[in-house]
Amino acid sequence: MTYVSYPELDEGVWRETLENGLTVMVVPRKGFTKKLAYFVTDFGSIHGDFTLEGKTYHAPYGVAHYLEHKMFDMPGGRDVSQEFADLGASVNAFTSYDMTAYYFGCTEGFRDCLRLLLEFVSTPYFTQESVDKERGIIDQEIGMNEDAPDTRVFENLMRCLYKEHLIREPILGTRETIREITPQVLEVCHKAFYTPGNMMLCVLGDVDPEEVADLAREVLGTEKRPVGQKLRPWKEDLSAGQALVTDRMEVVMPTFQMAFKCQPLGNGEAAIRGEMVADLAAEALFGESSPLYLKLYEQGLLDSSFGGGFETIDGAAMLMCSGDSMDPEAVRDAIVREGQRIVAEGIPEDDFLAMKRSALGRRIRGLDSFDSTCFRLCAYHMSQFDYFGFPEVYRKIQAQELVDFLAQAVCPERCSLSIVYPKEETK
Amino acid sequence: MIEVRELFPGITLRCCRDPRFKQGCLSLQMVRLMTGEEAAMNALLPTVLLRGSRLHPDLRSITRRLDELYGASVGAQVRRVGDYQTTGFYCGFMDDRFAMPGDRVMEPMAAFLKELLLDPLLEDGVFSPDYVAGEKKNLISTIQAERNDKQIYAMSRLLKSMCREDSFGLPRLGEVSQVEAITPQSLHAHWQKILKTSPINLFYVGSQETDRVAQLLRGMFRDMERDCRSLPPQSPFKPCPGGDQAETMDVAQGKLCMGFTTPITNRDSQFAAMQVFNVIYGSGMTSKLFMNVREKRSLCYSIGSGYYSTKGIVTVSAGIDFDKEEETRQEILRQLEICKQGEISNQELEAAKQALYSSLRATNDSPGAIESYYSTAVLSGLGMDPEAYLAAVAAVTREQVVAAAQSVTLHSTYFLKGESL
Repeated sequence: MTYVSYPELDEGVWRETLENGLTVMVVPRKGFTKKLAYFVTDFGSIHGDFTLEGKTYHAPYGVAHYLEHKMFDMPGGRDVSQEFADLGASVNAFTSYDMTAYYFGCTEGFRDCLRLLLEFVSTPYFTQESVDKERGIIDQEIGMNEDAPDTRVFENLMRCLYKEHLIREPILGTRETIREITPQVLEVCHKAFYTPGNMMLCVLGDVDPEEVADLAREVLGTEKRPVGQKLRPWKEDLSAGQALVTDRMEVVMPTFQMAFKCQPLGNGEAAIRGEMVADLAAEALFGESSPLYLKLYEQGLLDSSFGGGFETIDGAAMLMCSGDSMDPEAVRDAIVREGQRIVAEGIPEDDFLAMKRSALGRRIRGLDSFDSTCFRLCAYHMSQFDYFGFPEVYRKIQAQELVDFLAQAVCPERCSLSIVYPKEETK
Repeated sequence: MIEVRELFPGITLRCCRDPRFKQGCLSLQMVRLMTGEEAAMNALLPTVLLRGSRLHPDLRSITRRLDELYGASVGAQVRRVGDYQTTGFYCGFMDDRFAMPGDRVMEPMAAFLKELLLDPLLEDGVFSPDYVAGEKKNLISTIQAERNDKQIYAMSRLLKSMCREDSFGLPRLGEVSQVEAITPQSLHAHWQKILKTSPINLFYVGSQETDRVAQLLRGMFRDMERDCRSLPPQSPFKPCPGGDQAETMDVAQGKLCMGFTTPITNRDSQFAAMQVFNVIYGSGMTSKLFMNVREKRSLCYSIGSGYYSTKGIVTVSAGIDFDKEEETRQEILRQLEICKQGEISNQELEAAKQALYSSLRATNDSPGAIESYYSTAVLSGLGMDPEAYLAAVAAVTREQVVAAAQSVTLHSTYFLKGESL
């Protein structure tokens, strides 16, 4: 393995790409008892359309999440969660639009836990009976999301902003689509995307990096297998599908989420620079120390529930924000006007330097969190960038780049607003 | 590893010096008794103080100052710990070693904290009416927003009815009507009163030496006129008759909450056994409730139990279909009965202990977790650091777990159901 150190951040990373295609990263954390391992596949809810070995597949919506649930089944009635619990570790997983992650945290028995993680994620075992039984549980999870205003307002927004991109579909799928999921569908998806060449393993903690790589070789084998080719069956221009969507639920105050559709960023350092520029631009536009946020807060149009930033997923990028407000449409109009003002007047150099210093300091503080650091290392790696390179990227960014970004992004044609109002009869 | 310094009578600094972290944290808590009269004021006070000081009179100048301090954060921190309510601030900031040459973060941060706490912006001798009005509105919407998360809402309804004789039934942030009644004058008077009379706990985690931190913070309170009143010790759950409640709302999923009592609190020798019982019964993905109610019978998506150890209350909550209420309720009780009968395998016992070990060991790996553990332990009456706690868990026997289970009795239930039923 090769070691790169980042003295400025007091960090270092061991890296290797194994013969089977798996990327392994180990971040040594001397003196910490906790160890965290993420085993991640570059496969999420928008990747259900693909080809594998010459055949084309269109898996039902929700398949990546369903697969995540069913990976915990093992032959011989083995119970993965129980085995982790016996080792004193906790295991969990999540599915996003463009990745699925399996992870555990432990303080002892790291080797056994890591072996178990690699084993269960690489072992497809789906019976008709257990796939059928899972439906009840996922139905309940869908029901829980239906009652969650923040999920509803977000899913409505995606359907409104995008015309074709599969971000329009809930990660969980729907009660209808998950009824089309069979053991065979799960098997094909597993074969296509749970292959080492499409995955990465990232470990944080006081562990032996060579041991991590050796174990990955031992459990996953050295053979390089074909990876499914994602079809990404959408054509998406930059205009919003629809400007406004509203809904009513049991909420006390109107809650909203809005986004400006942006150019997807691609990969590599230029893309990451683009992302950090957009992040800073979001700060300048409506961040906690921006003139606009403070004005709207003081006017009582926004409260501390407000927040926003720049989000990227495979084939999509958005400048977005959300919060509670008595008048979400006034908030949207104010944001559009403020974007135009910044573009016209520019960003004062003092403000820009304070923002950069603040963003850098917050990222450095964030490195204390095992989970967020592990997640970022994985996500940035999939975009072909070394996350620990962020201080250098920040140094290069100029204020004008933020202005240029806002000039492109903040315009009414690219904007959608989703609002959930309280039910009329709610007191 | 925690060093304690009494800076002045009733003002205590606890320090955890730890050079592993890239950030430091500093919290300040004024400790009050949880009462209906004060809860809303204690919740409101730090948010108003964070709106402006004499030197940084508005949000813009405050956030600008924090940006200059490398993106430091300072937030209102209001906690309930058993019979107590704490009000104050939590600051997080980058460690000095990452600052530009000659720059410091910790020292100006402490000075800024002092300024926010002791030198607020005043208008006509009281807090700014605009700031008080704005933050009242925010606090009211925070309190009302509880209704948006049905799980939290259902649990608070259960606790409110179950603890109507106990301070634990009071909402943590007060009632909307109490917030509405606050004026700039009353809040200002309250600020003066609690600064003078409350025990004040400071907690620091980071790379600095304890003596250095103590010196820095001693300066903060040097000129304060104090008349600190000590607080009565924590009390166990005050009983009242139980009952079953149901409420209807337009929701897709029902929420069933069940409340139980036990005489075992965190001040008891049986505390560790009670914690182990709670993990076996309903905490995490290998608990009896998860394995049976969810996995085996698919009655719910979410289910879990919690143990409020300062009071001796155990709760179970589950997200279910409306027509599964009775079946779920019976299964939850049946699993408790199974624990009481002693049907607990060695594997369950060991796994529960391992889960507790893991979380206790990991406490020392994050500044926030360290602050939270020690700051609440000292108030809740839990007289153990994580190492001693871990040893107590290790010594728990199956018989003790069964005895703990047998001490648990159902008190009240609450069911939130949809309008379609």
